[in-house]
Amino acid sequence: MSSPTLTLASVDLSSYLPIFIMVLAAVGFGVMNVMLTQVLGPKRAGARKGETYESGMTPIGTARKRFNVRFYLIAMVFLVFDVEVVFLYPWGVTFANLDPGTHEGMIWLGRILFFLFTTIVAYLYGFRKGVFSFD
Amino acid sequence: MAIVVHVILIGVAYSIYLERKISAYIQDRVGPNRVGFGFGQAWLHSLFMLPGIKLLRLDRALGLGQPLADGLKFFLKEDYRPTNVDKVLFTLAPVIVIVPALIGFMIIPWGGMWDMPLVDLPLIGEIGGEMVHVAGANINIGVIYLLAVGSLGVYGITLGGWASNNKYSFLGGLRCTAQMISYEIPMGMSLLAVVLVFGSFMPERMIADQSENGWMVFRMPLAAVLFFTCALAEANRAPFDNAEAEQELVGGYHTEYSSMRFALFFLAEYSHMITSSAFFALLFLGGWSLNPLGVGPHMEPVAGSFLLVLAKFGIYFGKVMLLVCFMMVIRWTLPRMRYDQIMMLGWHALIPIALTLVIITSFMRQFGMMDWWMLTIANVALVAVAMALQPMLQRSLGNPTANRQIPMYGSRFNPVPGAVVNTAPTDPMALEDRPVQGAVTTV
Repeated sequence: MSSPTLTLASVDLSSYLPIFIMVLAAVGFGVMNVMLTQVLGPKRAGARKGETYESGMTPIGTARKRFNVRFYLIAMVFLVFDVEVVFLYPWGVTFANLDPGTHEGMIWLGRILFFLFTTIVAYLYGFRKGVFSFD
Repeated sequence: MAIVVHVILIGVAYSIYLERKISAYIQDRVGPNRVGFGFGQAWLHSLFMLPGIKLLRLDRALGLGQPLADGLKFFLKEDYRPTNVDKVLFTLAPVIVIVPALIGFMIIPWGGMWDMPLVDLPLIGEIGGEMVHVAGANINIGVIYLLAVGSLGVYGITLGGWASNNKYSFLGGLRCTAQMISYEIPMGMSLLAVVLVFGSFMPERMIADQSENGWMVFRMPLAAVLFFTCALAEANRAPFDNAEAEQELVGGYHTEYSSMRFALFFLAEYSHMITSSAFFALLFLGGWSLNPLGVGPHMEPVAGSFLLVLAKFGIYFGKVMLLVCFMMVIRWTLPRMRYDQIMMLGWHALIPIALTLVIITSFMRQFGMMDWWMLTIANVALVAVAMALQPMLQRSLGNPTANRQIPMYGSRFNPVPGAVVNTAPTDPMALEDRPVQGAVTTV
């Protein structure tokens, strides 16, 4: 068994072919199901029936309202962390294949620790600003 | 591939059946047991009443026909679209939900390697005669693909909640988005800690490593717990199912959906569950490995005959099913967490712990301390230290807006001192219906 190593040379797009086929099949499945049920199901329209469901009451306004700013904050902090994690993966798999205890490994470790440190600062800032507090 | 999709979907449908049965046993009920493969149709019924298979009672086989009947029923229901919805997104959302749920399975290495014999098929020609990965696709980014595809599922749910133009759906969609993106971070970090130990993204190599050195769940117990918690939250399963809290949001993002579109949301949830169980089994339970502690003889990750592949598939599938059952038991035994508790758990606890775990693991990697007992001790020690530090950190960092309940003075339950408060119902119909003895009526 020779599993391909993680080098650029081994990037072979043909190995992604089954995934592309599967994506097509999944899209086809979803579209087909939605269309089939529109064809097969009954169709009865009505003014009350077309109303938005609000536990049987007459709907008050729309749902297109302003919502809590906290969700934006969470999304922004998420971006910080997500980009960090994306950068950590290639580092992680390369670092794990370095020889332990070498000078080179120390440099790799130090650099990523600095990178993580910036994220920790961002986390603490968000924490003090109350981004992660809910009431 | 169409066959693969349908095999997956039947698996998903039967996991819904399994959930109904498990919930029934937990609640001391019987669960679905009426619908067999006869579906109540006389001609199908008579088909199963042939003398040879009469004993099997296939017309009423433990309710096993229930998922199929449910699936057929969904097709025949009205696909209703309320008038206020955003038409394009409302139609698109279920498809966007189901696609990532179905393509995630592709890299799960169900059966290891298969030494496929050379076969001469008509039309296709000669195939085989080489090593075949028994997986949908053997790609070099491996588990990253699974993580990426898993997090794509949030789009469909957000769009569905937004497009419905319903307050319940909108709240459910928002909650779900915030929860899923929050729990993606600790999930990715615990995966990273594990990848630092494996040194590879390839599923085959992860299983080979675990088959030789013991399962990862014993080496990295903390990472396993973090990962499982996040997997539950990513799949919107209880106790993190706030997005579709029935009692508060009447279904959340799929309130306005009916017929097959609703079913697509449902199928996506269950296939996410199976995918994340398979992911967990791959990372922490050794895939098809049957050697938990890494001692004694172990299965070599070499290509084998069809029987070996089948055995490996059986072991892997058994682990996945056990995990799925575990998730179901969790759902039916634990109460739902409150939304702010979920977010606080994610941001205050899981993310710092996962980050610390990554740093500790990379230090151990650098100093060559990769024996399994060292890793275990480090994990357990981190849990202990985190639990000891928690009250101290809480005190020093503080909690800018503490979770406090503000009493509403002047309300019925917190009256202003000295005030006369009417605690009886004020609705005339209710008064007439059920007069309260000794009630102070103020009009």
